Amino acid sequence: MSSKESCRNELRTAIRQLSDRCLYSASKWAAEQLVGIEQDPAKFTPSNTRFQRGSSSIRRRFRTNEINSTPPTGVAYVSTPVMEEDEAIHGDFYLLAKSYFDCREYRRAAHVLRDQTGKKSVFLRCYALYLAGEKRKEEETIELEGPLGKSDAVNRELVSVERELSTLSKNNMIDPFGLYLYGLVLKEKGNENLARKVLVESVNSYPWNWSAWSELQSLCTTVDILNSLNLSNHWMKEFFLASVYQELRMHNEALSKYENLQGTFTFSNYLQAQIGKTQYSLREFDQVEVIFEDLLRNDPYRVEDMDTYSNVLYTKEYFSALSYLAHRVIMTDKYRPESCCIIGNYYSLKGLHEKSVMYFRRALKLNKKYLSAWTLMGHEYVEMKNTPAAVDAYRRAVDINPRDYRAWYGLGQAYEMIGMPHYALHYFQKSVFFQPIDSRLWIAMAQCYESEQLHMLEEAIKCYKRAANCNDTEAIALHRLAELHRELGQPEEAAFYYKKDLERMEAEEREGPNTVEALTFLATHYKTQKRFEEAEVYCTRLLDYTGPERETAKSLLRGMRIAQSGFPSMDVEHFHP
Amino acid sequence: MAGVVKAPAPGAFAITPHKVSLCILVHTYASPSQISVPFPFSSVSQHNRLGLYLLALTKSCDDILEPKLDQLINQLREIGGLLDDWLTDHVTSRLSSLSAPDDLFNFFNELRETLGGPDSGVMDDDQVILDPNSNLGMFLRRCILAFNLLTFEGICHLLTNIGIYCKEAISSSSYEHRLDDSGNDLESLSEYENMDLNLVFKKINEEMEARKKATEQVSFHLHLPKDLSTLVEDVEVFADPKPEHNEKGGESSSYASGDLLRDVDPDGGVFLRTNWQIQGYLMEQADAIEKHGSSFTFNAFELTLRQLQKLAPEFHRVHFLRYLNNLYHDEYFSALENLHRYFDYSAGTEGFDFVPPAGSNDFGRFEIALLCLGMMQFHFGHPKRALEVLTEAVLVSQQQCNDTCLAYTLAAICNLLSEIGFSTTSGILGSPFSPMTNVGTSLSVQQQLFVLLNGSLKKAESLKLKQLIAANNLAMAKFGLTHVQRPLLSFGPKISMKLRTCPIVVCKELRSGYHLISDFCCEGSTMTTDGAFSTAWLKNLQKPMGSLVMSQDNGSGNNSNPFLFFTQPSSIPGSVLQLVGSSYLHRATAWEMYGSAPLARVNALVYATCFADASSSSDAVVVHVKLIQHLAAFKGYKEAFAALKIAEEKFLCASKSRILILKLQLLHERALHRGHLKLAQQVCDELGVLASSVTSVDLELKTEASLRHARTLLAAKQFSQAAAVAHSLFCMCYKFNLQVENATVLLLLAEIHMKSGNAVVGLPYALASLSYCQSFNLDLLKASATLTLAELWLSLGSNHSKTALTLLHGAFPMILGHGGLELCARAYITEAKCYLSDPSFSVSDNPELVLDPLRQAADELQALEYHELMAEAFYLMAIVYGKLGQLQQREEAASSFKNHIVALDHPHDADDPFLS
Repeated sequence: MSSKESCRNELRTAIRQLSDRCLYSASKWAAEQLVGIEQDPAKFTPSNTRFQRGSSSIRRRFRTNEINSTPPTGVAYVSTPVMEEDEAIHGDFYLLAKSYFDCREYRRAAHVLRDQTGKKSVFLRCYALYLAGEKRKEEETIELEGPLGKSDAVNRELVSVERELSTLSKNNMIDPFGLYLYGLVLKEKGNENLARKVLVESVNSYPWNWSAWSELQSLCTTVDILNSLNLSNHWMKEFFLASVYQELRMHNEALSKYENLQGTFTFSNYLQAQIGKTQYSLREFDQVEVIFEDLLRNDPYRVEDMDTYSNVLYTKEYFSALSYLAHRVIMTDKYRPESCCIIGNYYSLKGLHEKSVMYFRRALKLNKKYLSAWTLMGHEYVEMKNTPAAVDAYRRAVDINPRDYRAWYGLGQAYEMIGMPHYALHYFQKSVFFQPIDSRLWIAMAQCYESEQLHMLEEAIKCYKRAANCNDTEAIALHRLAELHRELGQPEEAAFYYKKDLERMEAEEREGPNTVEALTFLATHYKTQKRFEEAEVYCTRLLDYTGPERETAKSLLRGMRIAQSGFPSMDVEHFHP
Repeated sequence: MAGVVKAPAPGAFAITPHKVSLCILVHTYASPSQISVPFPFSSVSQHNRLGLYLLALTKSCDDILEPKLDQLINQLREIGGLLDDWLTDHVTSRLSSLSAPDDLFNFFNELRETLGGPDSGVMDDDQVILDPNSNLGMFLRRCILAFNLLTFEGICHLLTNIGIYCKEAISSSSYEHRLDDSGNDLESLSEYENMDLNLVFKKINEEMEARKKATEQVSFHLHLPKDLSTLVEDVEVFADPKPEHNEKGGESSSYASGDLLRDVDPDGGVFLRTNWQIQGYLMEQADAIEKHGSSFTFNAFELTLRQLQKLAPEFHRVHFLRYLNNLYHDEYFSALENLHRYFDYSAGTEGFDFVPPAGSNDFGRFEIALLCLGMMQFHFGHPKRALEVLTEAVLVSQQQCNDTCLAYTLAAICNLLSEIGFSTTSGILGSPFSPMTNVGTSLSVQQQLFVLLNGSLKKAESLKLKQLIAANNLAMAKFGLTHVQRPLLSFGPKISMKLRTCPIVVCKELRSGYHLISDFCCEGSTMTTDGAFSTAWLKNLQKPMGSLVMSQDNGSGNNSNPFLFFTQPSSIPGSVLQLVGSSYLHRATAWEMYGSAPLARVNALVYATCFADASSSSDAVVVHVKLIQHLAAFKGYKEAFAALKIAEEKFLCASKSRILILKLQLLHERALHRGHLKLAQQVCDELGVLASSVTSVDLELKTEASLRHARTLLAAKQFSQAAAVAHSLFCMCYKFNLQVENATVLLLLAEIHMKSGNAVVGLPYALASLSYCQSFNLDLLKASATLTLAELWLSLGSNHSKTALTLLHGAFPMILGHGGLELCARAYITEAKCYLSDPSFSVSDNPELVLDPLRQAADELQALEYHELMAEAFYLMAIVYGKLGQLQQREEAASSFKNHIVALDHPHDADDPFLS
């Protein structure tokens, strides 16, 4: 990776250029990363580094292996020349246009620049037009809303903007920012392939525009597409790849990329939040909690990504922490989908499902495509036993993103709840298709197969086997496997799984009725197999427990002794009640 | 212009560019302060013409497919006569003069002046003032009201839309262009318009109907009965001759919906007009898909649907249509996906007019989803899975107390069971059925089916689901046709065992099936069972109900005449007609089996002529197949192949499968007759390939294929192999309870043994076949079995010729009355042989007794080109002539004999266009 200093310089220039072109979110992102680069403590006074006090001990504690900040060898990063600034002549008009733009008077800004031909002016004019169209589109959507849903409001500027940009790009008169806008427009018009190509061109010639990268990321829906992209190596590409991996559920790859990046951008809040989110997907809740606590300490007014934090708090049932978070975000910005989602989560945890649904609804009003809100709302409706509404909510989630396995799972559950296991199977199959490593999904599907109506035990066994193979934390699968095999009269297999279950329980130092059941079965099984030694071991272990099993164990032992001592085989068990 | 009126309000009417141009026209028609014939009009009749036209247009205003400006202009051209130019100019210039919101305000103010006051009883004779309560007056008032309710944003949108509306007309080439794009020629324009208007006016009627009904309880699910009725007949889907009107409607709507749906009022109120109209449109499309099967253009409709979905994302019925579209184009995965999506969104309640009131809304109607899923699985040939799903549907319906759905589900299961021969259902039909059957699961499939059918029928009757009753009646008839009713209980006082099928029962069931239509006729409007939304009304406008105007117009080709609006449609929904039609089809089949060829033909013809419009393409194909088979048997191959060619053209593309099978059958038969065994085997193999299709196992086809295989082997004189094939076929038929096939196979076995010179072994088979025929009332088959029996006796020796002759004479009436050419010829030849082998018979005494049947046989066989039998006939003739000493005739007969023998030995496929 390039040295920290060069990164810093690149970013500084980029921020100026980006904000000069009114690409504010990209410049915000760049600035965040800029500050995230670790300062050389030797050069700076404490007051300078105070901003970075986030280098707290907590975070260090969880970074068990010190990350190697050197890049993998053999990767040569291209150094992209920083662009030259042009257009001093028409600078005045540009300044006016930019001021209008900053006041959100987009059409006015575009009008000021109507005769300007410099690349920068052209970009800003097109961008302003595009945004004006977007704004109008939003308004129209509300104006034209009918009972059948939103009407087909379109950005009316798209066509003209596209026409202009495509002519420019044909004549090779377009700069990377223009390309970014062109890509954006193409994407909106549904021309994804060309959009991808244009965006790649844009990021290759100007890599610091994070907006372009994220547009590109949203167009990379499969690994194949990602691999087909011809991206030149730049450290920004690492950010991009990490984010794509995250989206494609390649969590471990994403995590390693992010941690690698942290070598340079040690204090980047963005990176921290992304790592938190990835860890969340990996279900490492403890770590996520620590990460987000730390993040909030550094950036107390952050709302982005806080819904993930609230999910963790929800899972861990931290009532007060969740309420504190909700309070905090609502003071910061009430009308953010994330804020509403957090409040929804809080109410859900409190068991106030109606209120929770209300807040999820609000979140969805703010962002109709807010995936997790749909899914969470579905959960709430399930709690409220309102199956049709739950089904509807889940279905919207999967229609927004068909890879959302949780919503598929929710659909399955909802249908199972109303006694339609066969119908539910379809959804469970979908969910395991998209997330084959989650044992809970497999178990749910297995239970569906097991249900009284279907009673397809063979299939259930297959599912449990898959579940057992993917780190079944609740240890349901092994136990059920054993039981099913026993029910199906396959004692060998049953014994195998009981044994495995037993081993697992030992390893986790758990004990319970399952232990007793396993021990009893194994003891009897080995006894019938005439493998008395093993049977004896289990019997003796059974003796440690109270209850009827203890008696059974005793009688078993007795029986075995009799059998071993050469007496005519007589089943002692029979004489016991 | 949503946002405007949220509450149920008069706003169920939105102002659109089209309505604005209508207003302009009305304004012209009744411009105030003019003399009786206002300015542009030269005569009263001209004035009146425009008035009538406007009346028609205003009535059609609530359609979703509003005409474009250029269409309006076209119509004006036909109406306006001399005024045409002036009117169009007036409208366009007036429209294009509307450039600011204020212009609109002024325009509507002007309109208000056209209307007379509420008490304008006293009217100046010379002045034209619209009565506010007249049709046109009402229309204007509604427009004005709707305009006044608009928000300023709404007015802005209206202005923009008017701009687009005008622009499109000006560059009307764009319209043509679009047509070209969609692969249509310009001629279709008028057709399209016609369709459009038809649609319009159908909708008006329906809507009025529906309004009446809206408050009453209406029944069940819209699409189910139709699905069912198609399923009742057969599962396969076939194509219709010409993919015409409907798909153009589909395409046209894709243009129209673009901006029209936006314009059309999206507001609710009680009737949800827009919703209603789109529903209507979609229902019509659904019918069209069902009717045309896979010839319905997939992509065009998919495009329309996608657009609809974009415009109205909360309108979930679109998903169902997508499902249907996919279903009929055999896209399993997307069909499944869309089915699930539809029911996820709608929870089964949308479009189901009958939702039991008792708080069941909380749960949704997911059992309907199961029912549909089951039928889908069945359609795609997964009967076992379908049965599982339907079982679940039964359970859930019982839990939710949804009796209607239960009845339909049971009917679906019956249909499934009767279509797919399950050798056993134990393990599949488990506990859920025991409460219904009360007899446990020890019953055979057939018995279970019978019980289920009865249960379903009873349920349907108690719920008064007429269509279901009719469908069940049909199913019952079908069951009665092929199954002996045995008592269900194996203990207790036994009812005397009736080991015959009962044609009377079948007839009764069939008859009660179409009592339905009379119900529809007398009840008229109350019968909107499935049609509350359905637009699948009869399309027989030309028939008695249709007015004269209509037929005249059709004659002159003036299709876009707006007077079409005044014709009345018949009130019988298409689905009902379909059911009634299929009862005729059943009759035809029944008569085919019972052995009355003329009656079978008549029924098939009735179906083909009267129900062709309403029938699904699959049914239509079946009828054609039946008729062509009839032709082949009675008129020979030439005519059959000619008819087949027509049918092939008619049922283009896609699922020609049924036609293809027919073609193979005919080819096979002809090859056998001509002695072209190689070809026969080849065709037979092809048939076998069709039978082992991957989509599903069609038992009927399977038996057919192996039956023909055995026949081919028999013709090749490989007796033992033929016998083996026939034997295994018999085992299969027995296992799946295919009684009719049983009889046929037994007969074939008898023939095989006879041909192999083993008449004694053949006898029991022939007798068994006879008894089968008797118990199932298969009269024609029985006659042919008798014939075979006679032949067997005959081959046992000349001393049995008397017995044979008696048998033969007993069967003669049936054979000559109903049998095909081949059967008759065989009977004649056998008769002659009987006489000849009778030692007491002397040829010279009564030569005509022998010669006449032989000549008859030779004539009849000519059409079939059945060389083998012909040779036999001529051989016998030659012998007879030889005995009579008529040498010349003998030589003639002998040379014919030789010709046929040569032809048999050197089969050549003479100019056969059908061999591919």
